[in-house]
Amino acid sequence: MSLEEPQAPDVGVTGEGDLDYDALEDLLGDNVVDREQHENAEGFVIRPDEVEETLSTLKEEAGFDHLSSVTAQEYQDRYESIYHLKKFDDPTQELSVVVPTARDDPVSESAAGVFDTAEWHEREAYDLVGIEYEGHPDLRRILLPETWQGHPLSQDYNQDKPQIVPLREHANPMEEKTKIPDDPDTMFVNIGPHHPATHGVLHVKTTLDGEQIADLDPDIGYLHRCEEQMCQQSTYRHQIMPYPDRWDYISAGILNEWAYARAAEDMADIEVPEYAQVIRTMSAELCRIAAHLLAVGTFALDIYGDFTAIFMYAIRDREVIQNILEDLTGQRLMFNYMRLGGVAWDLPEPREDFFEQTRDFLDELPDRLEEYHNLLTSNEIFQMRVIDTGVLPPEQAKSFGATGPVARGSGIDYDLRRDDPYGYYDELEWDVITEDGCDNFSRALVRLKEMEQSGRIIEQCLDLLEDWPEEDREIQANVPRTLKPEPDTEIYRAVEGAKGELGIYMRSDGTDKPARFKIRSPCFCNLQTLPVMSEGEYIPDMIASLGSLDIVLGEVDR
Amino acid sequence: MQLLPEQIMGILPFGGVGAEVVASLIAAAIIGTIMLTNTALAGPWAKRKITAAFTDRIAVNRIGPFGLLIIVADAVRLLSKELIVPEGVDRPAWDLAPLIIASTALLGFSVIPMGSIVGINMHLADPEAGLALVFAFASMASVGLVMAGYASNNKFSFLGGLRAVAQNLAYEIPLILTGVSVVIFAETLQMSEIVAAQQETLFTVAGIAVPSWYAIVNPFAFVLFVIANLAEVGRNPFDIPEAPTEIVAGYQTEYSSVYFVLIYLGEFIHIFLGGAIIATLFLGGPAGPALPGFIWFMIKIWAVFLFTQWARSAVPRVRIDQLIEIGWKGMLVLAFANLFLTAVIVGVVL
Repeated sequence: MSLEEPQAPDVGVTGEGDLDYDALEDLLGDNVVDREQHENAEGFVIRPDEVEETLSTLKEEAGFDHLSSVTAQEYQDRYESIYHLKKFDDPTQELSVVVPTARDDPVSESAAGVFDTAEWHEREAYDLVGIEYEGHPDLRRILLPETWQGHPLSQDYNQDKPQIVPLREHANPMEEKTKIPDDPDTMFVNIGPHHPATHGVLHVKTTLDGEQIADLDPDIGYLHRCEEQMCQQSTYRHQIMPYPDRWDYISAGILNEWAYARAAEDMADIEVPEYAQVIRTMSAELCRIAAHLLAVGTFALDIYGDFTAIFMYAIRDREVIQNILEDLTGQRLMFNYMRLGGVAWDLPEPREDFFEQTRDFLDELPDRLEEYHNLLTSNEIFQMRVIDTGVLPPEQAKSFGATGPVARGSGIDYDLRRDDPYGYYDELEWDVITEDGCDNFSRALVRLKEMEQSGRIIEQCLDLLEDWPEEDREIQANVPRTLKPEPDTEIYRAVEGAKGELGIYMRSDGTDKPARFKIRSPCFCNLQTLPVMSEGEYIPDMIASLGSLDIVLGEVDR
Repeated sequence: MQLLPEQIMGILPFGGVGAEVVASLIAAAIIGTIMLTNTALAGPWAKRKITAAFTDRIAVNRIGPFGLLIIVADAVRLLSKELIVPEGVDRPAWDLAPLIIASTALLGFSVIPMGSIVGINMHLADPEAGLALVFAFASMASVGLVMAGYASNNKFSFLGGLRAVAQNLAYEIPLILTGVSVVIFAETLQMSEIVAAQQETLFTVAGIAVPSWYAIVNPFAFVLFVIANLAEVGRNPFDIPEAPTEIVAGYQTEYSSVYFVLIYLGEFIHIFLGGAIIATLFLGGPAGPALPGFIWFMIKIWAVFLFTQWARSAVPRVRIDQLIEIGWKGMLVLAFANLFLTAVIVGVVL
C-alpha cells in the first residue's frame, strides 16, 4: 500500500481516518430514517425496501466493501436485520445498517444483489428467525430440514415441543436438485454427507459433466447444535465461555474463546491486565499453529489420497502443541481457558519447565516447516495438482466475505490482529502473510508461512513472560460476580480466528444473559466461495479446493 | 529342468492323462498357495508395517510376535462380515467381478519361472508365447474393474470403472511396448528363455561378474516399465480408479465382506504379478548368488512391493486428465522411442 499514491479518504472518513457518521448520513440522504447507538459501529436505520440501494451506495461510494455479517432478531414490536459493514482496508471503520420490519409482515429487501455473502446469511436469518427477503435468489432453509415447522429463534416458537420429522415426510435431502435439469450429458452425484474428503458432515450436491463439475451446491446444517440459542440461555460471566471451544473444534478453541471474551469485555468495559493479554496472545497463537498444522495435513491428505507421511507428520507435531496446551489449560481440546477479564490461571509451575518445553517446540519448528515445504510445496506433482486450480479472484473473495488464509491466499491484505488490534499483537514484531496466486497452492502456502509468524509471536511472548516481575503477574481483572451490561447495548466484535474473521454480535436486555447472540463464522462465509472455485474444474480439484478452504463443520453449522 | 507338473507326475503311482491332470492341479495349487500366502502376509501385516515406518508410526504389535497374528485376526474379521448386496446391482456381473480381479492376477503366475528350491522347479508352464500370456492375464483385471464399476449401480463406482478403462488404455500400451523391447534382446517370448538370456556375464567389475540383466543393459526401459507398472497396478501416483477422498473407493465402493476381500486380494496379487514380470524381464528372474533361486525371486517381487508402498506413502496422486496426458503424450512416445532404438541397436550393432 505504501508504494501507491496516497489516496483521498473515502466519503465519510475524516482526515485522521475516523468515520464521520454525519457525512455518511448526508451521503445516504433520505434513506436514513433514524440513527442508533451501537458500540464501535453506529447504526443507521433504513426502510426495508431500500436495502439494496443503501448498501450499494455505501459499497460503491463510501468504500464499505465487506459485509461482515447479517444478524436477524425479533423484538416485541418488530423484526430487525442488521447488516454489519466494514472495510477490507480498515476494519475499524464499522457501520451497522439496521432494517426493521413489521411483526405481522416481516419482509425486507435482499442484499444478495450487492454482496454475494448475503445470500447465505439471509437464508440463515430466514431459517432461524423468520424474516423473508424479497428478491433473494434462493430463499430456503439452510441449517434446518426443509420440513421444519416455525423459526426457532422467533418469539412465538414453542421450544419445548419436540419436532419429529418422520422419514416419509422429510424432504429428501438427497433428492436430485440441479440447475441443469434433464441434460443427458450430466450426472448428479451427492458428495457427502458421508464422504472421505468432506472433513465432517458436509453434503455437496454436485452435477458432473464427465469428470468436470457443471454445478455445485453445498448443503450444510448436519452439525447444527443450536449454539446461538444455548449462548442466549447462558450467563455472560461463566456459562458462555465453554461453548466457543465447540465451534471450531480443531484445536482452535482459545482463538474462539477470545472472540467471545473480546466482545463481552468491550460490552461491559472490562480492562484486561497486560500480563493476561500476553498469555492470551501466546496460547492463541499456539492454537493457530495447531489448527494450521491440521489444515495442511488434511489438505495433503486430500491430494495424496491416503494416510500418508505428511498427514502423520502434521499430527505428530500437533501432538507436541497439544501437550503444551494441556499443561497450560488442563485440557487437550475443549480448553475453556479464558475468563472475562483474563485467563483461568497462570502458567503452570514450575514455569521454567513450561518455557523450556515451549521453546524446544519453537526451536524445532523451522526444521519441521522446512520438511513440509520439501514434501508439499516443492513437490512437482503436488504443484501440478494445486497451482492454478481452485482460483478465487480477490473481487469475488471480498464479495463473498472470505477472510483468513482464504482471503490472504487471494492477495487480500486483511488480518484483524494487525488491522483491528487486540490482545498484545500491536506490541509485537510479526508480518501478515499474503500470496497473490488466488489458487489452492497459495492458500496452503499462506498457512505454512503463518505458522512461522505465529512462532515468532510466541517467542516474543515467552520472552516477555519470562521477564515479567513476579508481583505484577495479574491474570484477572476485577469483574462483578454477575455481569449485567446496560440494557440495549449492542455490539459486534471480531477477532482473527484460525479460519478468518470470527465475529460475535450481542444485545443485552439488562439481565445476566444476552438477548441475542449471533456468531459470524468464518468457515460459513469461506464455504460459500466453493462454487466459484470449483465450477468447470475436475472433481479432484474440487476436493482440493475444499481442503484448501479448511472448513470445520462445527463452525459452519454452529 | 523339468517343470513342476512333470516333477509331480514322476512321483505319482499312476500314469496317463489322469496323472497329467492330477499333477497339474496339484502344481497349480502349490503355486496358488504360495502366492496367497505372500498376499496374506502383505495385505494385513506387511503393508501396515511398511506404511507405518514411512509415516512415523508403529502399527500392529499387540497380537503375536511383531503383530503377525493380526493376519489370523483380520481373516476372521473379514470373513465374518455381512455381505451387503445393494439394490439394483447387475448380477451376476457384480458377483463375477471380484472373482475375475482375483483370479486373473493369480493366473499370471502360471507361466512365471519362480526358480527352484531344494530341487523343485517352481514353474508351472512354459509356453512359447509366455510373455504375451502373462500380459494378457495382467490386463484382464481391468475387465473386472469395469464390471465392478458398472454393475455396482453406484455413481462413484461407475466413475471409478471409467477411470480404470482410461488409465489402462493409457498405460497398457507403453507397458507392453517396453516389454517388447526386451523381447527384441532375448529374441523369444518364452519366459524361461528370457531368464536364460540374462544369465550371461555382461562385464566384470573388480572380480564381480555383472550379469546381463536387462535392467542393466537397458535401464531406460526398466524405468519406463516400473512407472507404467505403478499405473498398471493402480498405486500412487496413479491410484486414480480407487482415489479415496475423491470418489470414495471407486469401483470397490459397494463391495463388502468376502467380495471386498477378493478385490483386495486381487490387488495385492496384481502388485506381486507386476513384481514378477519386472523380475523376469529385467532382474534376471530367479537368478542370484548363494541363496536358492526361489528365495531370490521372492526377494525381488517383495522389493517391487516395497517400492509401490513407498510411492503410496510419499507421492501425491495426479489428476485423471494429467494421467492421460502423461500416458499418451509422454510414456507412449518414450516407449516407441525405446522400442525403435532397441530395434536399431539390436539389428545393426549386434
